Amino acid sequence: MYETIIIGGGPAAVAAGVYAARKQIKTALFASQIGGQSVVSDGIENWIGEEVISGPDLAIKLKKHLESQKDNIDLHIGENVDKVNKKEDGTFEVVVGEDIYETKTVLVCSGGRHRRLGVPGESDFEGRGVAFCATCDAPFFKDKDVAVVGGGNSGLEAVVDLIKYANKVYLIARKPDGGLRGDPVTQAEIMNSDKVEIIYESNASAVVGEAMVTGLKYKKNDSDEEHEIAVQGVFVEIGSVPNSEIVGEFVDTDDWSNIKVNFENQETSCPGVFAAGDVTNSAYRQNNIAVGDAIKALLSAHEYLKKNQ
Amino acid sequence: MATVTIYSTPTCGYCTLAKDFLQEKGVEYTEIDVSVDQQKAQAMVEKTGQMGVPVIIIEKDGQEEILVGFDQVQLTNLLGL
Repeated sequence: MYETIIIGGGPAAVAAGVYAARKQIKTALFASQIGGQSVVSDGIENWIGEEVISGPDLAIKLKKHLESQKDNIDLHIGENVDKVNKKEDGTFEVVVGEDIYETKTVLVCSGGRHRRLGVPGESDFEGRGVAFCATCDAPFFKDKDVAVVGGGNSGLEAVVDLIKYANKVYLIARKPDGGLRGDPVTQAEIMNSDKVEIIYESNASAVVGEAMVTGLKYKKNDSDEEHEIAVQGVFVEIGSVPNSEIVGEFVDTDDWSNIKVNFENQETSCPGVFAAGDVTNSAYRQNNIAVGDAIKALLSAHEYLKKNQ
Repeated sequence: MATVTIYSTPTCGYCTLAKDFLQEKGVEYTEIDVSVDQQKAQAMVEKTGQMGVPVIIIEKDGQEEILVGFDQVQLTNLLGL
């Protein structure tokens, strides 16, 4: 029986892991890989202590830091948690494929994943024009016409990545002109590029193509009329969905499936389950915040363990 | 012994992580940067039917396995690590 099991591989999970190991709490950590969602980031300029660091470099540093504590924590990297079961005696079972691990507390730091459009053609053309990582895949769209869906910061950053390669970049934004979110610096870069055309107050309605993507259909917010632009690439950047399903059956979530936490100590509606980072209803999705919240969660779990021995 | 080829772009985070993983495990590989070699990029798209990186191709005993994306679990299994 573990005292705590940490689920996730982003900055939150790593922070909790390091603290758990140093406190010699009997802990296991399960993650498909170490790094978190910033892995795809070209340069992170707000990770405190580093003027600038790339997503992969941060991931490698996080991994090394975690591994330096491996004598005091069981690391299961490359192993996905399928589900957590709550037992009648107040302890938990963590299900990983055929294996079951028992634990007194659970720290959910499982983060988020890309939100999908949910429109016809999106899945069919995934990898064949539909892409979720502009930083990674932009070079394939050299001299091609592409569309980015999503007017938030990640959408704007995708546009900037694509300007370097594509012939033309459409940005489909739900907001009206002047309503784009995202850094002013990034916005200015987009506004100053003659490659970019912003289609405001619109939503993507279908991806079309044959072997590869040939176009994107969209509708204006207030109309059912479908318009089509000819593009060879569609980059989806409409935010993330929390990976909360593993505990969703017995932990309260909000309307967007974020795990609700008590911000004082990161406890959830279920005693013994704590959560931190992008899987929670935290107002801000930030690496630094995820780290702090995860440490708070681990320290709270430690208190809980002392009280419930 | 398997021959490993990785198609990548310099700005692709998962490519870097995949390469780091291979290095850590002492697996030798050939890297093809598709951002500078458009012909190889096209060849990769034709071979895999898709345009995402990383693509990792493992040739072993005359068999070829194509992995799209960095999946540590699959990679470990295919390389018998």
